[in-house]
Amino acid sequence: MLLRLLTWPYVRKHKLRAILTILGIALGVIVFVGMRTANDSVLYGFQQTVDRLAGKTQLQISSGETGFPEEVLERVQALPEVETAVPVIEATVRTGLPGQGNILILAVDMTGDRGLRQYEFEEGDESFIDDPLVFLAQPDSIMITSEFAARNHLATGGRISFDTMIGPKQFTIRGIMKSGGLASAFGGNLAIMDIYAAQQVFGRGRSFDRIDLKLKPDVPLARGQSALQTLLGSGYQIEPPSSRGQQFESITRIFSIGASLNSAFALLIGLFIIYNTFAIAVTQRRSEIGILRALGASSRQISGLFLLESAILGLAGSIIGIAFGLLMARGMANYVSSLFGEIYGVAQRVETVAADPKIVALALVIGVATSMLAASIPARDASRVDPAAALHKGAYESFSPRESRLRLIAAAGFLAIAAFSLFLRGSEGLRLYAGYLSVVLAAILLTPALVRRLVVALRPLLRSLLPVEGALAADSLIRSPRRTSATVAAVMLSISLVAGLGGVSNASYESLMSWMNNVLNPDLFVGASEQISDRSFRFPASIGGELRRMDFIDELQMVRTARVMFRGAPVMVVAVTIDSLSRRVHPQVIAGDPSTMYREVAAGRGVIFADNLALLKGVKLGDIVEIPSPSGVLKLPVAGITIDYSDQQGAILMDRSVFVRNWKDDTVNVFRVYLRKGVSASEGKRRILDRLGAQSRLFVLTNDQVRRFILRVTDQWFALTYMQIFVAVLVAILGIVNSLTVSITDRRRELGVLQAVGGLRRQVRQTIWIEAMSIALVSVLLGLALGAVILFYYLGIIREQIAGVRLEYEYPVRIALSLIPTMIAVAFLSALGPAESAVRSSLVEALEYE
Amino acid sequence: MNKFLAVLFFTAALLRAQDARRIMQEVQDRARAASQRYEGTLKVIDSRNKISEKRWTYDRIGSAGSSKVVIRFSAPAEVKGVALLVVNHPERSSDQWMWTPALQRDRRIAFQDRSTRFFGTDFSFEDLEERDSNQYDYTILGEETVNGAPCWKLESRPKKSKSSQYTHAHIWVDKARYVFEKIESFHGGKLIRRLIYGDYRRIQNIWTPLTMEIEEVGRKSKTILHTEKLQYNVPMKEEQFTLQALRRES
Repeated sequence: MLLRLLTWPYVRKHKLRAILTILGIALGVIVFVGMRTANDSVLYGFQQTVDRLAGKTQLQISSGETGFPEEVLERVQALPEVETAVPVIEATVRTGLPGQGNILILAVDMTGDRGLRQYEFEEGDESFIDDPLVFLAQPDSIMITSEFAARNHLATGGRISFDTMIGPKQFTIRGIMKSGGLASAFGGNLAIMDIYAAQQVFGRGRSFDRIDLKLKPDVPLARGQSALQTLLGSGYQIEPPSSRGQQFESITRIFSIGASLNSAFALLIGLFIIYNTFAIAVTQRRSEIGILRALGASSRQISGLFLLESAILGLAGSIIGIAFGLLMARGMANYVSSLFGEIYGVAQRVETVAADPKIVALALVIGVATSMLAASIPARDASRVDPAAALHKGAYESFSPRESRLRLIAAAGFLAIAAFSLFLRGSEGLRLYAGYLSVVLAAILLTPALVRRLVVALRPLLRSLLPVEGALAADSLIRSPRRTSATVAAVMLSISLVAGLGGVSNASYESLMSWMNNVLNPDLFVGASEQISDRSFRFPASIGGELRRMDFIDELQMVRTARVMFRGAPVMVVAVTIDSLSRRVHPQVIAGDPSTMYREVAAGRGVIFADNLALLKGVKLGDIVEIPSPSGVLKLPVAGITIDYSDQQGAILMDRSVFVRNWKDDTVNVFRVYLRKGVSASEGKRRILDRLGAQSRLFVLTNDQVRRFILRVTDQWFALTYMQIFVAVLVAILGIVNSLTVSITDRRRELGVLQAVGGLRRQVRQTIWIEAMSIALVSVLLGLALGAVILFYYLGIIREQIAGVRLEYEYPVRIALSLIPTMIAVAFLSALGPAESAVRSSLVEALEYE
Repeated sequence: MNKFLAVLFFTAALLRAQDARRIMQEVQDRARAASQRYEGTLKVIDSRNKISEKRWTYDRIGSAGSSKVVIRFSAPAEVKGVALLVVNHPERSSDQWMWTPALQRDRRIAFQDRSTRFFGTDFSFEDLEERDSNQYDYTILGEETVNGAPCWKLESRPKKSKSSQYTHAHIWVDKARYVFEKIESFHGGKLIRRLIYGDYRRIQNIWTPLTMEIEEVGRKSKTILHTEKLQYNVPMKEEQFTLQALRRES
């Protein structure tokens, strides 16, 4: 009843403000739904592929990414608990077909694999593998899915070319699988080939990537797992297929945290927009509230009315946010997918981007709860309106001395907590998050006082520019601290976010550049894949011998990278000839003496930990760490800790001899090539390709190309940050437009009087423009100051809680300087509409207002 | 009285089992040769009457239960040189390896995979094993006529030491010649494969089927093996039946 009588007419009268309020929530929900859905779709796509490939597999045996010798298979097959155990190699290769991207090659031993996986063929008959013996006898045999065949007009007997270790290779299609089940893995871009042929074409030597197995019917999973672990030792991971999805999730954890933080911040800013709207609505409707109270409405009814309004607006914002968020997710999913592929070297394919009911429900709850939370203070204020004082306009827009005093005391309290948390020992997370939250809350509480002081300080300047308009604008802001401070707080938070994120981005680039200058100094990188992070292909060690014989090469470092499980997380092992590395590379050493460190590691008596991994896993210099390998658990002391960005999860550097001995694998991912003096990178590249290009799949990248690749991937990573900045600026604009709309509505009579006594339209316009630009300037100044403090916390949280990366504090001065004119210009543009509305409204109506 | 009947029943069953074993032993003894060689043509006729054909040479050394076999494909061109080595053991399943010349490598066919069909034919890898009569228990089920020949109908069940995809088989043995006329292999109550022997010739005093027709029931396809140039007791060496020889001679 009250909603219909009181709210509906008000909303109809202030449509624009209602829309802006809804948008405030919608933006937060869009970011939340968009990023979470895109992220989840990628994870879901990966898990779907894993599930479909797994078939009846109960357990999978792996040794990180490194694979293991073939002999392991016979030992596993001989175990009484095992019913079926089959070897698997997986590789993702480019199809070279327009619009098809990558295809996942699943290489299996077809003589036994049917015990685990269901291969259904188009003609409903096994003989449709156009002769199974030919399939095995000919290493160019491949089976594809009907979807892939239809998309590319392929048929049995046709030929298709894929990139392999021995260059592009023609395969003959000897079977087409029916769609559904296994054939729908990786979005249907799946091909099956013989595992022994795959060993050759993907440079696996005599090793398998993993073993898929099924236990005998009477063997419980835990017993089978335990028997296998006893048989193989702790160097092997024996897990159900679902754990691959968990590992993938663990690898992409940092992205997921970033996505969650993004949406949380977007919602926080939305919260201020709603607070602002409701604070103003309460102010404007004080007389109506007073009348209702006088007629007998209880304070609970009044407060409930505003909360209901906020819930409805929150619901509307959430619904819009969910719809647009899902649209955004569709656009983002493939981007996120390819980003994961480039950063983590884990290929996956997004099959569907669908609304997860849990995310949708959570978005609705978050949207409505945020809206109600934001409106709770104005609602409480509304419920306390004194009917007698309700007709006193204006007084309510300022803070009472008591309220101001309480705010100052609370702010001082939060600052004290922030200061105290700096010295808190024990939980780093608690210290940082408590400090961060306290600083933000203190800044919000101090905003009215700071805004007043800043506007008072600004008034003479504004007057000197435009005496009448400047003074009017400044006075309007000073007289309405409640309205002004809410807007400023929202914009301030947005700007502080921009400054903080900008600072993180700058520090990351600085740190990365410094690492690249110290470590990434070879003239050429010879890799088996176009992307340096792709580990599908590996060189046999013999290629190293051929490169060494080239007289224009001064020094060669053979690098093998592979993900292994360390303390429950997938981390990167980097194996390289340390003796050579120590002569050429000088990383920033955080712990340990560089010469001792290199000596011990070169002798196989230690490993070097990346600083980020050491921090996240609590590893110290001298600790004995246990690294699982196919030969058992490798126990080595940490001989040094250095800054190393080889992998986002962290890297463990060891001598190549240690890796070859323990992993029984001498293959190479990348050769780091130092050319002799006088040989240019382009000449070296040409000569290597001339000698080896024909016999092996080979990509020679110059130092510059590798750096550009790393920077491009970093740019893509930070594109999410830039999106966050964009949202923050958008929210800031919304805040300013909202505030100005309210301000103009509030001051319609004042502006009307001004025009009635001879004020020019130009003057009215300029007053509003100045007001908007003043809000922007004050907000930017406060936001940049707050940004300086929260940057400190961001760097701490990134180091201690998220990535373990040590980033130097450096205030983003350029970003700060560019924000001032940008925001002032944005504020000016935002003010154009409201200013026009003010000068074009009916003078009579304006004078009648109130 | 009841006890007397039970003892009588069990005694009769034991005698029948002994008779069945003696029959099977006789079959095995009459077919015994130090070695065997033939050229085979394997014809697979699928459910749509599509016919595919392969040729192989077959060499066996030793007698059933401890024999070694090398099958080497000679046609069509895509499979030429592909070879299979089967090493039979009296008390356990055979070891099998396959050699693919195009890849220049061998692969072990794991025990768990023996129920898999042998390269699209109606044979399974297990069907290629030479069976030693001592690996099974036998009973006589009765007498029937197959292809005009009076036969004993026997049931064989693998002993526990012998793992098989089949729970039991029915074997029809020609009473006059002590040769197989038909074998039906079951899993539980379900008939899996039916193997019919035909075109018996007496070669070097051994009655030998020159045709074997196998059908995997339910697939509506059949595989026919014709043997030619069959000889027994051909001079062969153990070294020819090793992985090294498989690699060397392909």
